[in-house]
Amino acid sequence: MTFALQSGLFFRRKLLETLRQPVWIITGLSTPLLYLALFEPLLRSVAGGPSLPAGHVLNVFVPGILALMAFGAGMGAGWVVIWELDSGVIERLRVTPASRLALLLGGVLRDVAMFVLPGVVVIGIAIGFGFTAHWAGLALVLVLLALLTAACSATSAALGLRLKQIGSLAAVVTGVQLPLTLLSGILLPLSLGPDWLRVLGHLNPMYYAVQAARDLAAGTITTAAVGTGFLVTGAAAALALWWGTRCFQQAMT
Amino acid sequence: MPVAESPPVAIQAHGLRKSFRVKTQVVSAVSGLDLTVEAGQIFGFLGPNGAGKTTTLRILTTLLPADAGEAVVAGADVTRSPQRVRRRIGYVGQLGGADGSATGRENLLLQARLYGLTATAAAARAAELIELFDLGPFAGRTVRSYSGGQRRRLEVALGILNRPGVLFLDEPTTGLDPQNRANLWNQVRQLRDSGTTVFLTTHYLDEADQLSDRLAIVDRGRVIAEGTPAQLKQRYSGDTIVITPERPAGLARLEQELASLAFVRSTETRDGSIRLAVTDATQSMAAVFTVLADRDIAVRAASLAQPSLDDVFLHETGRSLRDAGEPAAQPSSGQPAGEQVAV
Repeated sequence: MTFALQSGLFFRRKLLETLRQPVWIITGLSTPLLYLALFEPLLRSVAGGPSLPAGHVLNVFVPGILALMAFGAGMGAGWVVIWELDSGVIERLRVTPASRLALLLGGVLRDVAMFVLPGVVVIGIAIGFGFTAHWAGLALVLVLLALLTAACSATSAALGLRLKQIGSLAAVVTGVQLPLTLLSGILLPLSLGPDWLRVLGHLNPMYYAVQAARDLAAGTITTAAVGTGFLVTGAAAALALWWGTRCFQQAMT
Repeated sequence: MPVAESPPVAIQAHGLRKSFRVKTQVVSAVSGLDLTVEAGQIFGFLGPNGAGKTTTLRILTTLLPADAGEAVVAGADVTRSPQRVRRRIGYVGQLGGADGSATGRENLLLQARLYGLTATAAAARAAELIELFDLGPFAGRTVRSYSGGQRRRLEVALGILNRPGVLFLDEPTTGLDPQNRANLWNQVRQLRDSGTTVFLTTHYLDEADQLSDRLAIVDRGRVIAEGTPAQLKQRYSGDTIVITPERPAGLARLEQELASLAFVRSTETRDGSIRLAVTDATQSMAAVFTVLADRDIAVRAASLAQPSLDDVFLHETGRSLRDAGEPAAQPSSGQPAGEQVAV
């Protein structure tokens, strides 16, 4: 099938690009490990309430770290896309009969790989620190958060193609990064906060992914939160891929 | 992959229009453009910056939908069957388009696979192009490390990988040194000789003049003149003879007398010389000398001034092409339209 073949070709191209810049692989791994090393002790010292019981800090925190990694792996896509736009690569590929969705998917799949592989490493290290692993749940966490990476990656690429300027893209991405991550309860559960904060959290699509990831990591697979999480994240990914493809169809310097 | 059978007409466009919204203004980049390009030619598309060359090219290569009008390229309609057009054309954009983080060979292999070649056929085609464009010494290095000329060679190789019936080149020699420019001209001529129609935009007068078999001169989104370079120059300015008599006395009378000759279209006296626009300089020269001999006028210098394509542009627009550049009417340019800026 041509589409699958082309997606694979673009995926391989993007993987090679990443392997030639190993600095990104290193920072992709060092950031979550620093969170584990530096933030977890901080969290441990504030734990002890009903929403963050002492002794289970890591079990709440690791799914959050994974969600943060998924977000970070995807949101960088736009920078490369702008560079490819400026060097004419996208224009050249658009004159070939290649599928525009495949063109987008090459980058998206690379970002998913760049989330899953370091994610597995982080889980392994967290287990060493006392994180309780529920394997089926963790596998589903990776699937769910891979969808989150795909949604972020396609959105970032679409933003890059629309904004065309690194500066504008940086402003938008850093502008949404804080509210999105904070209001999803990645670092601290939103249940610690006041009601109005929790209401705001419900407006954030990422919130549902993080809630679902916490349930799954705890080994409870059949909760309503898990269903909602997959539904919202899946819909966000589908919408972002549709928008990204549209932007690739019209991409122009 | 068989060589695409070229139809006698490679490009046929009618009434193309495209405008962009720049801030609050609507700027017309292409305004009712008609074009016919016969197969097997090098067709030059000459005009100042902002004349609508790149926008036209993007419409013809399926990159940009036109607001109005239609275009058939390599036998397929750009709006109704863009995929068929894409299979039959090659394109080398102004920005180049080689992927800097991949090697030259990887660039070629990916492009080949995208046109549907199997892995084996792609490797063979890549090897063939590496040989043809002499990319061998650096085909295994990432493109980022290439010189300008090496990069341009790779990009042209990418453009003709699918053996296109029509190859589009957008300002292909901009930024190249004279040596690489001459090499590229040769490659373009070889492609034409092997049956490819080459459509190239340029704002260089000499490039349009020397490389094109036929050319269209564009200004403000319209074709203002079209023909072979020789025809155009002949049609609009004829040849020019410059006579400088030994003594300036009687210059006005001499000019009058020469102006009455049948083949002289116009005369002008400047700095002690008479400039005669004639229909055919080589034939007219003898007649002019006869007049000079009859009147016993000693001549210090007599020369033929060849008209240039700039004379054609000047004749049609009242501006010199060298000064006519304006900010490109592109969606992202954000420049005010219609303001003239020297190139």
